Amino acid sequence: MKISKIIIALFVFQCIILNNITAQSSNPDFMQSIGKIYVVVAVIVTVFLGIIIYLFSLQKKIKQLEDQIKD
Amino acid sequence: MKENWWKIIGIVLMLFALIFGILTPLKPGLPSVFPFNGKAGNPLTVDIQGYNTHFDEAKEQRVWLKLGDYTLGSSKLEATSSNLLRATFLTPAMLPSKDSVVVFSLVTDNEIDGASVMPSAIFVKQSVIDSAGAAQVWPQNSLDNLHQQAGIMFPYRNVLGETIRNLYYHVSLWFAMFIILAVSIFYSIRYLNKGNMLDDHRSNALVSVGVLFGLLGCATGSIWAKHTWGTWWTTDVKLNMTAIFMLIYLAYFVLRGSFQDEIKRARLASVYNIFAFASIIPLLFVIPRLVDSLHPGNGGNPGFGGEDLDNTMRIAFYPAIIGMTLIGLWIADLRYRLAVLADKVLDRI
Amino acid sequence: MQVLTEIIFLLKKELLLEWRQKYAIGGILLYVISTVFIVYISTGEIRPPVWNILFWIIVLFASVNAVVKSFVQENSQRQLYYYQLAHPIAIILSKMLYNIGLLFMLTVLSYLAMTLVYESPIKRVGLFWLTIFLGSVGFSITFTFVSAIASKADNSSTLMAILTFPIVIPILGTLMMLSANALGLIQDTAYVKDIYTLIAIDGILLGLAIILFPFLWRD
Repeated sequence: MKISKIIIALFVFQCIILNNITAQSSNPDFMQSIGKIYVVVAVIVTVFLGIIIYLFSLQKKIKQLEDQIKD
Repeated sequence: MKENWWKIIGIVLMLFALIFGILTPLKPGLPSVFPFNGKAGNPLTVDIQGYNTHFDEAKEQRVWLKLGDYTLGSSKLEATSSNLLRATFLTPAMLPSKDSVVVFSLVTDNEIDGASVMPSAIFVKQSVIDSAGAAQVWPQNSLDNLHQQAGIMFPYRNVLGETIRNLYYHVSLWFAMFIILAVSIFYSIRYLNKGNMLDDHRSNALVSVGVLFGLLGCATGSIWAKHTWGTWWTTDVKLNMTAIFMLIYLAYFVLRGSFQDEIKRARLASVYNIFAFASIIPLLFVIPRLVDSLHPGNGGNPGFGGEDLDNTMRIAFYPAIIGMTLIGLWIADLRYRLAVLADKVLDRI
Repeated sequence: MQVLTEIIFLLKKELLLEWRQKYAIGGILLYVISTVFIVYISTGEIRPPVWNILFWIIVLFASVNAVVKSFVQENSQRQLYYYQLAHPIAIILSKMLYNIGLLFMLTVLSYLAMTLVYESPIKRVGLFWLTIFLGSVGFSITFTFVSAIASKADNSSTLMAILTFPIVIPILGTLMMLSANALGLIQDTAYVKDIYTLIAIDGILLGLAIILFPFLWRD
């Protein structure tokens, strides 16, 4: 429950960071460097985080069910 | 372990796509040339930027300006580093074209990197237009003794660069989404036929994973588009299609949420699922006539077919699709089992 | 044959009911006119491309509002009565036929209202009328079927809009292409292909509706 929130926060955070990195004037070419390889990194991280978030939401549902069984 | 074999296959395929897709190097390419314009008759010196090239180590470096069958070799070459090459061309005063500004492609070739082409690289202006006279001055050469690059490599495309690898992590998501949604349609049909509640649970779980993949596809596509096309979202056909898909399936969840009665919910959701999916299929034929697309294969863009999706890319692309689909099915299976358990618990209470 | 007589019977009944509660259809007509008037007040002069878009948007919203009532506003007792009386295919087909007529009338009315306040930008009259007709057929098939789904829920009119809009996009896109042709905005010789596409979409949706409706009707 708490962890899933943290993960969502991380996900949002990552998007903001990506946005900032590209917008920063001091280092504007970070995403463009080495043949834009960091774009690939960002894509893989996004997919990974997305699936993890989904799994956490699933875990939450399982937890609710377990609580119901206990009662 | 017996029922887990397909999950293991999924993981192995995905891992393979990840490792092979990341570790395979890109073919040498030419990202940029500076200056990219010049005047006919004057000597033209350009700095050629290379990517993954070995200009300084190569012994037989050659560079040409190319327009159709006409080619002009460089008169002087100087490699400052492995990725930087300075070439000088002595262009004749007349160019083999009737236009005042002529666009040449740039071709480089050496024995280490093989041949690379940069299309529409250099704009040359001519003051005297005499294409017939130019045809005699300009050498015709179809450049057939070029070197072939050996080894397993992904093709280099100018705007894409390394992001061509996203084919395995972004495009495969879409394919997986389509397959998963199609399977959910199958279960919807089966539910309507047999009336077994389990089929509806399966269908629902699959739709939810399909939507997850769709949203992830949007997010990753957005990131990719930002750094290649320059915007997060365009009015592109495939993007709009995705938006429509997401709208339909979010409506599907709203529809499910608005019924208390289980059987009624299952029946209506199944009917809507089938109807909506079938009504969206014509979009594939309708939309290409409405607007141009930035995506490969539309509006003059190179398609990920034929030359662009070469055999090396297929080696990672197809496993990525299958792996992604299997992982999606696995998650959907977990979700389904959870729903069935919840049903049983509710029954007991 | 049985189905055909049932369809005719149900159509007659539908018309009779409509005649008895004239305020319902009057409300729809008023809806169209006031929408057109609001658009007119807020835009002033408009160019043909904008005319095209506004026209179809008005028709889309008016159609959704007109069709919602075909299943949603019928009480359950009357539905039970139908259920005992007629074959489900006859019910859906009669509703669709009735709605085709209603929507066609509605579209023509929107067009008339639009020409009243703006100059009519239509260049190819025959193509435009064909487009209007095909449009009302497509809208009627989709909306009638979805309203049958939405009628089972409590918040049906919201649900109706959410469920139909994404589905109707292929039809709407083709209609706009065709009517842009009729307005002379684009010179496209391949519009016949669009007409076939539209007919094919209508056919697919009609077939699906006929197959799926009996499942909806079983309560």
